[in-house]
Amino acid sequence: MNARHSRPALPRAVAVAAAVVGVTAISLAVATSRASQSPTNPQPGTSPSWTHTKTPWGDPDLQGVWRYEAAIPLERPARFEGRDTLTDEEVKESQRLENEQEAQRLSGAEGAAVGRQSVAASPIRGNEYNSFWQDHGRPRQVYRQTSLVVDPKDGRLPYTPDARKAEARASARYGVGPYESYLDPDTGERCLTDGVTALMWQGPNGGHNRIVQSPGYVTILHEEYLDRRIIPTDGRSHGSVRQWFGDAVGKWDGSTLVVDTINFIDRTNYEWASIFTRPSETLHLVERFTRMGANIMEYRITLEDPTTFEKPWTAVIPITRLSDGTQIYEYACHEGNYAMANLLAGGRVEAAKRSR
Amino acid sequence: MRSRVVRVVAAVAVLSLAAACTSGNAQNGPESRQAFQPARTPDGKPNLNGIWQALNTANFDLQAHAARPALALMPAAPRGGVAGLVRATHVELPHPSVRSLGAVAGVPAGESVVEGGEIPYQPWAAAKKKENAEHWLERDPEIKCYMPGVPRATYMPYPFQILQSTDTIVMAYEFAGASRTIHLGKVPDSPAPTWMGWSRGRWDGNSLVVEVTDFNEETWFDRAGNFHSDQLHVTERYTPTSADHLLYEVTIDDPKVFTRPWKIRMPLYRRLESGKKLLEYKCVEFVEELLYGRLGVVDPATGQKNK
Repeated sequence: MNARHSRPALPRAVAVAAAVVGVTAISLAVATSRASQSPTNPQPGTSPSWTHTKTPWGDPDLQGVWRYEAAIPLERPARFEGRDTLTDEEVKESQRLENEQEAQRLSGAEGAAVGRQSVAASPIRGNEYNSFWQDHGRPRQVYRQTSLVVDPKDGRLPYTPDARKAEARASARYGVGPYESYLDPDTGERCLTDGVTALMWQGPNGGHNRIVQSPGYVTILHEEYLDRRIIPTDGRSHGSVRQWFGDAVGKWDGSTLVVDTINFIDRTNYEWASIFTRPSETLHLVERFTRMGANIMEYRITLEDPTTFEKPWTAVIPITRLSDGTQIYEYACHEGNYAMANLLAGGRVEAAKRSR
Repeated sequence: MRSRVVRVVAAVAVLSLAAACTSGNAQNGPESRQAFQPARTPDGKPNLNGIWQALNTANFDLQAHAARPALALMPAAPRGGVAGLVRATHVELPHPSVRSLGAVAGVPAGESVVEGGEIPYQPWAAAKKKENAEHWLERDPEIKCYMPGVPRATYMPYPFQILQSTDTIVMAYEFAGASRTIHLGKVPDSPAPTWMGWSRGRWDGNSLVVEVTDFNEETWFDRAGNFHSDQLHVTERYTPTSADHLLYEVTIDDPKVFTRPWKIRMPLYRRLESGKKLLEYKCVEFVEELLYGRLGVVDPATGQKNK
């Protein structure tokens, strides 16, 4: 699950062509994050010197450019079974590994920069190319959490048996195909979206996210796929229109922004992105955004979806604020999607080989 | 004595100012940027927050145009008939690719939104504009769900939302989910050309003035083939003229394409439905069949193998 959670938004098979699409945005992101300040608070929790700032109209201020930079697996790896935190030695070792991998990545030696797999271990070839256009900005941040999933207590996603099978099929086909038409790649390759919880895992792909507040609204601009959420906090109730990003209503609970989203539409038509990111029509998503310090926010999500999960689950995700002046840039994915034509051309070659 | 004079003068001034405001509001309306005093944000700026929409035909054609049956036309075959009873007026019919849409594909007539009516193209550019119009179906980026650029995003037949923070204003467009960030503070130049431009804003009295630069040359101004180069410089001015109207004025400068800067202006209207929100129009999925249907092993539209 690790590799899938932190998978690149585009499969390696398409990455070469896709990199042409994404290279402008990505290289800008690299430059931006190099200039960023270093994280001030590597462990979650309120920093003692932090007092909440407010907007001129009195809401807690979450504004700025944020991204996920942590090295926490979504689900708890087997070796940490029964434990929700790392020991001091494990933290140290993890930090050493992250520094080493960052150095390797910068020197171009590491193939699977994001998945943390060695090139030899990866079933997909060509992912070396991903290394230069994916970027963590700096060594990923080490936290004590052994998994983003904090509930259930075992740190594992409570898939239904059917969903678990679908997830296995998805993993087997991801980046491998076959790709018979434009409906076969996942929504990332189609330049549609990465789903509503993308904030938690898009970090390495230039996943900068700008939060802008105005009276009665919190707006999140995701750099990738131009995804955008305009969340009303004016007390209105849910509307009835189904959308890719559902119908979100927000409210302030003390200094926490609570966003309740229903009415998702499932038109993903693929089974090979991590299926927990798929907006099932029965999904009820509750997100809690709490700023814990000047540069750290806790992003806590609870997903309830009887189609996919046996019970609700909750993940706690630390999000880092980048330095003032960090920009997000135009991610013209669809406008430059040469990858799709190349992917389909490749699919035809593969099909011709199979029929020979 | 002196203070009384001052007081009287001040009172007269206040009264006449109030009168001017009142009469200004009554007489001017949405096309004028005189006198209206808009509501303020908590930090004292004119409050432009809201969901807005243009109600005109500028997206069909910025310039004055008669109604016609479709954007994609083809000439009718030469007619025979009874000599003297059939006039040989040139007739254009809807192109086969849009014919089945009937009246839905028609183009409503519209007045010009261009100041003076003319767009001052250089001769080569006038020829290219004409060619664009003739090849609208293959060339208009709107058809492919590409980001619409500026100012076109403002007057497409979709609402857009202004979300006004203190040093940043987001303009969120429904079409294609395109967004712009207007930077009110100092920002470096855009490092690359873009579809939606790089926007720096400032307040000028009650107006928000936005300088938009760093465009690529891919976007159009309308469905009539009006176009620009990567030298485009757009200056937008948003002025509240009533609680529910903005006056939108744009100066378009592009020395590669035009002989001089030119201007458009139009009112924008607040969407007053209670609880109105901007909805998704993720049109990428709507154009995949058009762009990619014939490229794969199988065409999803027919279920058949592509040749």
